Amino acid sequence: MTAGLASLAARAYGLRWRVLPPLTGVAMLAMLIGAVLAAPREVIEGEVQRLMYIHVPSATIGMYGSIGVVFVASAMVLWKRDMRWDAVARGAATVGVLFTALTLLTGAIWGRPVWGVYWAWDARLTSTLVLFLIYCGYLLIRQIADPHDEQTARYAAVFAMIGALDIPLINMSVRWWNTLHPQPIVVRPLGDEALPTEMLIVLLVGTVAISLLVAWLIVLRTETELAAQRIHGLRAGVDRREAS
Amino acid sequence: MDYLEFMFAGFAVFWAGLFVYLLMLQMRIRSLQQEVERLEERLAEQEAGDRRTTEARPVAGGRPAAPATRQSPAPRT
Repeated sequence: MTAGLASLAARAYGLRWRVLPPLTGVAMLAMLIGAVLAAPREVIEGEVQRLMYIHVPSATIGMYGSIGVVFVASAMVLWKRDMRWDAVARGAATVGVLFTALTLLTGAIWGRPVWGVYWAWDARLTSTLVLFLIYCGYLLIRQIADPHDEQTARYAAVFAMIGALDIPLINMSVRWWNTLHPQPIVVRPLGDEALPTEMLIVLLVGTVAISLLVAWLIVLRTETELAAQRIHGLRAGVDRREAS
Repeated sequence: MDYLEFMFAGFAVFWAGLFVYLLMLQMRIRSLQQEVERLEERLAEQEAGDRRTTEARPVAGGRPAAPATRQSPAPRT
C-alpha cells in the first residue's frame, strides 16, 4: 500500500514539467479574467476591491503555504540531516519572500483608497513586515555563509523555524488587536455576513491558480538548488583531482 | 468611488513581481549552466592529461612509448 502510494507520487512528480506550467498558465489567466471581468463590482469599495482576488490567495497560499513548507523542510533538515531538505527550505523561502512582498504591496495599494493611507503600523501589517524581514535575513545568511555547509544549514533551519512562529501571530492579529485590516471574510462564524457566491467562486479560482503557481515555483527553485548542490560536489571533486 | 488606477497598479505590481522573480531564477539557472560547462572543460583537460600519462607509462618491461612526464625513472618489472 505504502509502496504503491510512493510509486504513484513518484510518477506524479515525474510529470511536473509537463503538467504544472501549462496548468498554472491557464489557471492564472482564468484568475485574471475572473478578477477583472467576471466578478461583480463591490458596492462600497468599487473596482479597487478586485485586488482581493490576488491579495488574499497571495497571503494565504503564497505566504502562509511557502513558509509552512520552509518550516517542514527545516524540521526535516534537523531530523534527517539531509541537505536535499535544505534545498527545499531555501527554494520555498525565496517563494515565501516573493509572496510576502506581493501581499504587502498589493495590500498597501488597496489600502490607500480605502483607509486613506498606504501603510499603518497596525498589528497585521507590522507582523507581516516582520515576517518579510525575518526571511530576507534567512536568505541573506544563506547567501553570505557557505550555502553548502551542513552546520550553517542546521543553524539556518532553527532560525527559519523560529521565524515561522510569526505566521500564527499574523493570522490571529486581527482578532487579538484592533486593526485597520478587516476580519477574515471567507472563514467566519455562523450567522455572520459572508462573501457573495460569485465573489467566492472567483476567489476560489484565484486560490487554485496561486496554489499551482506556488507549487511550480517551489519545485523549480528547489531543483535549481539541488543542481547547485550537485555542481558544488562535482567542483570539489575536480579541485581535489587537480590538486593530487 | 472606483479607484481604477489603484486596481491597475495593484495588478501591475503583482505581475511585475512575478516577472522579476522568474527573470532572477533564469539568471541563476544560466549561471549554473555556465558552471557546468566550466567543469566539463576542466574534466576534459584532466582526462586528456591522464591519457598522456597513461600512454607515457612503460609497457611490460619495455621503454616508455613517449617521453615520460615524471622525473623519477620508470619502475623495473
